[in-house]
Amino acid sequence: MALHFLLSSVFIFFAISVSPTLSSNSEVNALHALRARLTDHTNVLQSWDPTLVNPCTWFHVTCDSNNRVIRLDLGNSNISGTLGPELGGLQHLQYLELYMNKFEGKIPKELGNLKNLVSMDLYDNNFEGEIPKSFATLKSLKFLRLNNNRLTGSIPRELSALSNLKILDVSNNDLCGTVPIDGPFGSFPIESFENNSRLNGPELQGLVSYDFGC
Amino acid sequence: MTCSNFFSLSLSFSLLSFLLVALLLPISPVSTSTTSAAEQAKALLKWKAGFIHNQTHSDLLPSWTLTTNASSHSYPCNWFGIVCNQIGSVSHIQLGDVGLQGTLTSFNFTSFPDLVHIVLVNFTLFGTIPCQISSLSKLRFLSLFYNQLHGEIPSEISVLTSLRVLSLGANHHSGSIPLGIAKLRHLTVLDLADNNLSGSIPTSLGDLCNLTNLHLFSNALSGPIPLEIGNLKNLTELSVFNNSLTGSIPSTLGNLTKLTLLHLYSNKLSGPIPLEIGNLKKLTELSVQRNSLTGSIPSTLGNLTKLTVLLLYSNKLSGSIPLEIGNLTNLTKLSMNNNFLTGSIPSTFWNLTNLTKLSVFYNQFSGSIPQEIENLKNLSSLQIAWNNFSGNLPQQLCDGGSLVNFSANGNSFTGPIPKGLRNCTSLFRVRLENNQLDGNISEAFGVYPYLNYMDLSNNKLCGEISPNWGQCPNLTSLRMSMNEITGCIPLELGNSSQLQRLDLSSNHLIGEIPKELGKMKALSSLNLSHNHLSGRLPLEIGNLSNLDDLDLSANDLTGSIPEQLGDCFKMTYLDLGKNKFNGSIPEQMGDLNSLQRLMDLSHNQLNGEIPSEIGQLQVLENLNISHNMLSGSIPSSLEKMLSLTSIDVSYNGLEGPIPKNKAFKDAPKEAFTHNKALCGNAKEFAYTMSVTEKCDVYSFGVIIMETLMGRHPGELLSSFSLSSFLSLPSSSVEQPTMLKDVLDERISPPTAEVVQIIVFIVKLSFTCLKVDPQSRPTMEHVSHELSSLKSFFV
Repeated sequence: MALHFLLSSVFIFFAISVSPTLSSNSEVNALHALRARLTDHTNVLQSWDPTLVNPCTWFHVTCDSNNRVIRLDLGNSNISGTLGPELGGLQHLQYLELYMNKFEGKIPKELGNLKNLVSMDLYDNNFEGEIPKSFATLKSLKFLRLNNNRLTGSIPRELSALSNLKILDVSNNDLCGTVPIDGPFGSFPIESFENNSRLNGPELQGLVSYDFGC
Repeated sequence: MTCSNFFSLSLSFSLLSFLLVALLLPISPVSTSTTSAAEQAKALLKWKAGFIHNQTHSDLLPSWTLTTNASSHSYPCNWFGIVCNQIGSVSHIQLGDVGLQGTLTSFNFTSFPDLVHIVLVNFTLFGTIPCQISSLSKLRFLSLFYNQLHGEIPSEISVLTSLRVLSLGANHHSGSIPLGIAKLRHLTVLDLADNNLSGSIPTSLGDLCNLTNLHLFSNALSGPIPLEIGNLKNLTELSVFNNSLTGSIPSTLGNLTKLTLLHLYSNKLSGPIPLEIGNLKKLTELSVQRNSLTGSIPSTLGNLTKLTVLLLYSNKLSGSIPLEIGNLTNLTKLSMNNNFLTGSIPSTFWNLTNLTKLSVFYNQFSGSIPQEIENLKNLSSLQIAWNNFSGNLPQQLCDGGSLVNFSANGNSFTGPIPKGLRNCTSLFRVRLENNQLDGNISEAFGVYPYLNYMDLSNNKLCGEISPNWGQCPNLTSLRMSMNEITGCIPLELGNSSQLQRLDLSSNHLIGEIPKELGKMKALSSLNLSHNHLSGRLPLEIGNLSNLDDLDLSANDLTGSIPEQLGDCFKMTYLDLGKNKFNGSIPEQMGDLNSLQRLMDLSHNQLNGEIPSEIGQLQVLENLNISHNMLSGSIPSSLEKMLSLTSIDVSYNGLEGPIPKNKAFKDAPKEAFTHNKALCGNAKEFAYTMSVTEKCDVYSFGVIIMETLMGRHPGELLSSFSLSSFLSLPSSSVEQPTMLKDVLDERISPPTAEVVQIIVFIVKLSFTCLKVDPQSRPTMEHVSHELSSLKSFFV
């Protein structure tokens, strides 16, 4: 009987060591949460030590002079796993380079929060699901390369609001519907959309529903 | 004896026996209800029936059954996790992880009035706590710790006045802490931690005068810490960390003289640390980090001589460290980083000989670190970065050989690298950058088996790079840029197969880049720029398949750019500018299809033509090949480089049209200046170069030839046949022989009439293609000439 009581006391206070201690740096926490989702076959994330005060000495992370993350360079790094909402917390991020890996799952809509993003390269992965409509708020975006994935759904017409968009490549996916023609879409070459078997060419405003064939 | 007599006798006898039985029955000490063991067993089985198996195993409470070998009235008391009292009523239910999930809703609380002890830890309980729990009037011990319970804690809990221990931690409870908990006067342990509770901490909790442990941490509690908590005279542990508590730390906490643990961290507390905290003589851990506390560190903290952990970091504390802190000789961890503290480290600090971790970084401390720091023989982590410390680093540092993490970066330290660091084999991470250290590094460092990170950048260090660095098996980052280092790069560095980042830029290094660097398979960032390195770039550079950025700019490197560089397929940044590279740009550069940030080959002696393969660099944003001796025309494949934002081809010998690409169109005239004969539609050409029109004519000539030949006239433009062609008389019947060689073979050969027209057009196009823009006709003239062809068609 006394032993039982003792054992239960142990259980009560076990809680204290179980709770994880978060860093006071939110960017450390965001990247640490990202790392937890990934399988890092060649240990490129080994330097990502969450006990450090900021992630600025981590490899493949670049910070500005205020120790805020501006670049994430993980292209060609033999990484698999999924992305989560935490990346949306890197408010100063300019370059998100995740190309040529084995990422899968959906592209998180939270990436639309990255107001300073200039380049998003997710090409050559296994991403599925739709292109988030939230990307319409990526006002600084110049380069958006989502080609060579398994994305479905239509190209959000909202993307025509991105006046800085220079390059959009969604080729080699499984997109459907029609291609927007407004804004920057007027200058994208046809190769940007090729190899989407259910993509039906430029939208015919008023004549056919923009997501025709979806 | 008569019948009536017999009858009355039997009646009275049965009456008597009835009375006897009736009297005997209530003697057994059973509860007010009439629940028997059998009924309790039934209730337990009914509860069990609602469980879900976690695994696809067979029944994991096999003892919970009515069909057992044991005698029928030993259940449920002999069941696993069940204990009965002397009269056979269930008093204890204790179950942990038995591979089941269940709720409390199907548990019939009223069948168990004698329960004193319920422990269902990590049982996987779902659902809410039913208010029927209030019927357990004898309950003393309730632990539902580490389950999936949700919903509000029922206010009916306040009726369980026998409770000594209440643990609902590590669940998903929401809502406020019920005010009625204050009625549980016998409570010694209250654990509501790690839930989603909101609202304030009730002031009435101060009535729980028997409380020894109060754990409310990791919730969403708001409002202040009630000053009534100071009434809990028996409290030994108070943990309210990781909430949104506001207001000041009540000075009444100074009354909790039995307190050993005080954890207030990660809240929104403001105001000063009360000096009354110094009364808590039994305190072993005080952590108030990650709040907005202001004011000075009270000197009374020096009275807390049992303290082993003192965490004040990430607050807004100001003033200097009181001398009295030096009295805390049991301290192992002292962190006051990220505050606004000033002054120097008090000399009494060096009495803290048990210290393993000292963090004062990101403050405004000044003064020096004296030799006495060597008294801290157990120091493994010393973090003094980003202050205004000055003077020399103490020479005996790490004499005891226990220093693991040492960061002193961002100060004004002068003098040499401490001698003690040479044999400091425990070192893991060292940051000394951004100081004014001026010693000689040749012999200052030894071989470190665990060293992972070393940064000496931006100092005034001299001497040579030791070959020892190549023997550090765990070294991933070595940075020494911006110093006065001389000598060569030791080839032994090539042995460092774990090194990912090597930065030796902005020094006075001489000699060649050792080919052994090609062995550093893990290298992703190599910066040797701004030195005096000479010789060739070893072709072994192509072995560095993980190389992401390469900066060799501003050296004296010679020879050609090795084609093996094209094997570095992960490269995103390449700067070979300001060297003496000669030869032509290898076409293999086009294989670097991840090149994004920069390709800079400027200020070299590169000759030959720009390879058309450069056009494959689809994601390149910045291209600089200026200040070379490149010739020929810019390949039209560069039109496909749609990511280009800036280009610079100035100071070369280039000619011909510039690609019709936004980057080229928007480039300033400085990007093209000082070439041989570039022309095209650049933004500023329109204003400065009058040959714009003639460039259109040139392009037109190219188009004509392209149409006729079915391919780009490329070789024909620069061939001898062009100039010799022009020297021939204006119309010659020998020309068809030449034309046959160049016309598109996919179209059937022209008839005699058409040949004349073609000859005319070809001649016209050749005048457009004259090298000297001034001798080309105007577009108006060309148009006029072509219009005259109409007369051929009737």
